[in-house]
Amino acid sequence: MMRKKNISLDEMDKRLPFTVPENYFEDFATSMELQISEVAAEKKHRQLKPWVYAVAAVSTGLIIFGSVYTSVFSGTSKPDNYESYVLSQVDETSMLYYYLEGHNTENK
Amino acid sequence: MVLSHDDTNDILQDVFMKAWNGLDSFRGESQVSTWLYRIATNETLTFLTNKRLKNINSLDEVEDILLQNLQADNYFNGDEAQLQLQKAILTLPEKQRLVFNMRFYEDLSYDEMSEVLGTSVGALKASYHHATKKIEHFLIEENDD
Repeated sequence: MMRKKNISLDEMDKRLPFTVPENYFEDFATSMELQISEVAAEKKHRQLKPWVYAVAAVSTGLIIFGSVYTSVFSGTSKPDNYESYVLSQVDETSMLYYYLEGHNTENK
Repeated sequence: MVLSHDDTNDILQDVFMKAWNGLDSFRGESQVSTWLYRIATNETLTFLTNKRLKNINSLDEVEDILLQNLQADNYFNGDEAQLQLQKAILTLPEKQRLVFNMRFYEDLSYDEMSEVLGTSVGALKASYHHATKKIEHFLIEENDD
């Protein structure tokens, strides 16, 4: 019967079997600086966004408020709107009768 | 731990970014090297967890992918015995692999490892002992085939 060969880790090479590209550690600081500046720029961009949203929200609010204010408190638009509403509720035949009867009454 | 130069490079950059951003939170209760080791360990485990999640539908285990990466990596300069050893290390559970690498390759003391990993010295000794036994068993089996 064949005996299994005994293997001990103590006899094995303890050096990590990996290398790095040439000048990797020398260039590492430069690549890190580049990454930090990119992240910083991204952060700055992110910090601007809430201001953009705030300005957009205020502008939209002002436009809506302005249009509501104009339609509610403006002196000309209210009667126009009211007249249009009343006319829209009356059919043409009724209006014709109304005018004819009025005309007849005036003649009597 | 991740067996690929590109992945290691990404993790290393993230480690220094985290250290840079968290410099204010470093209270000087441990050595800077221990603090950096802790960040590196967390980043590595997070990287492996993310890789596992990405490959959840894949038939290959993450360890198989790591081995494929290693065999294709231009910066692996080990011989056949060292490749076998890396294969054996990959059969270990993740935390045990971490303990083994720290002790075997980086020659960290159990006290230093305890500070980095937040595990008791006794548990680390037991973990390393089991890891070496498993690796030796794997290598014997592989040698026998």
